[in-house]
Amino acid sequence: MGHDRYDVIIVGSGPAGSTAAKICAENNLTVALIEKGEFPGSKNMFGGSIFRAALEEIVPDFLEKAPIERKVVREVLFFMEADSIVEMGFTSYKFAQPPYNTFTVIRSRFDRWLAGIAEKAGAHLMNSTLVEDLIYEKESPFSGRKVAGVILEDGRKIYSDVVILAEGAMADLTRKAGLRKKYSADLFTLYVKELIALPEEVINARFNLERDEGMNIGMVGYPTAGAIGKGGIWVNKDTISIIVGAYLNQLIKNGLNPYQLLCRLKEHPAIQRLIQGGKTVQYMSKIIPKGGYDNIAELYDDGIIVTGDAAMLVSGRHGTDAAMLSGKYAAETVIQAKAKGDFSKKTLSAYEGKINSSFFYKNLKINRRAADYYKKYPDADFLISKILNEITFEFFKEDNKTQEEKLQMMFEKLRHIQPLTKSVKDFYNAALNWRFY
Amino acid sequence: MQMSAFDKNKENPLQHVRIKLAEKSHIKIKDKNTCIDNCENKPCTYYCPGRVFSWSGEKQAIIVDYSRCIECGACPWGCPYDNIYWEFPPGGYGVHYEI
Repeated sequence: MGHDRYDVIIVGSGPAGSTAAKICAENNLTVALIEKGEFPGSKNMFGGSIFRAALEEIVPDFLEKAPIERKVVREVLFFMEADSIVEMGFTSYKFAQPPYNTFTVIRSRFDRWLAGIAEKAGAHLMNSTLVEDLIYEKESPFSGRKVAGVILEDGRKIYSDVVILAEGAMADLTRKAGLRKKYSADLFTLYVKELIALPEEVINARFNLERDEGMNIGMVGYPTAGAIGKGGIWVNKDTISIIVGAYLNQLIKNGLNPYQLLCRLKEHPAIQRLIQGGKTVQYMSKIIPKGGYDNIAELYDDGIIVTGDAAMLVSGRHGTDAAMLSGKYAAETVIQAKAKGDFSKKTLSAYEGKINSSFFYKNLKINRRAADYYKKYPDADFLISKILNEITFEFFKEDNKTQEEKLQMMFEKLRHIQPLTKSVKDFYNAALNWRFY
Repeated sequence: MQMSAFDKNKENPLQHVRIKLAEKSHIKIKDKNTCIDNCENKPCTYYCPGRVFSWSGEKQAIIVDYSRCIECGACPWGCPYDNIYWEFPPGGYGVHYEI
């Protein structure tokens, strides 16, 4: 049975929450880590892979303990048409050696493991517990209201000096605290995923991998049927994660159902043979907060800090690591605040300083306008994919033509799809946008 | 494009999801009339990856089947009239991923 008072309450035991809980507990703070699911990770989904650099900062010896599926040695980008693919890829066998680079994981295993580390450090994990609201107190007639704890769904109250919100994309409490205002379909991407089981040796043969080497395929063009989004495959130990998704407002505008897009992708001749004979063992779906720099939440207030997805700290493919690092910064801030005995907005502002100097925040800032081009030309990726496939088709097609005639035909194709200047702009902007994909 | 993915002759993806069903629905249509008067396309009937929402011509209303919800979180933000109320199911209930 838990207590009704802790130094810090953390709402959500995903990567951000468990990281914060571990660090706070290690520094002798009393910690309640509250999870709505039956166990941490039981409601979580991503592509996906985790990145060494961030995880190593939080759990230095993670390699021996973490439930890693595979070590990623190959990253491939598919530009897809209905019956052809232009591939761009990179394989490094350096990434097959320590310290490795990125790792495929399954969240119901990974999140549970990370929360277990927080528990071992002394955090009190409360599963199957939904937080309903925040408790406020007024410290003096002259000060504003300060967050002083949480109210659970059964009405029970738990008090703390500070609450760290790590509640994920829906961010109910963040909104109730007035720290995040704008929520609309253009700020979220919606992804669906299937986990498809196949024997390990079949996976290795199909993807040209050995032992625990893994890979990731990103897909543009065909998978999203004209909406701004992506498809993807992550190779796990004995399962394959296949996902597809796009901006929610684009799915709606184009009349698309994400599951239907997934079925269509699975039937693509190139994908079909990768997953053939596999058995679907899990279907899942999640929104990703992709509002960018302009929609990052207010990160703190008196007695409260917001981390991870709840704060919209997602930059390109960096979501889980940004979450873990924000959890770390939140914990460091709270530990300092505890030492001072002051959990006011002023003291907690140190958290913002740490976020502002992080690589993911700086990338979000640099890419502030990158999405604008896509908002203006939502079909840019689709057109790039089409151009690349049609030109490459002409290039490889044998038809007894001279080099000059071939070149002429390729130019014809290019001009036929759209004006040349627009294509140049599309490629330029795509390159800018993909920098941090 | 055909919306055939959830047809009877196709595989139902929800058979691959474990949901511990709560007694009460965690999803509500705020105002029935908004769906009738303002919403022409009824996008909730197609963007929801669990097909929670369907239009009943007979009842002239969106039917909500919360037992199909996989908690993706899209519906409240996707509704063009902000007419869907969604909250998490009670602690320990709802979608459960474990492999």
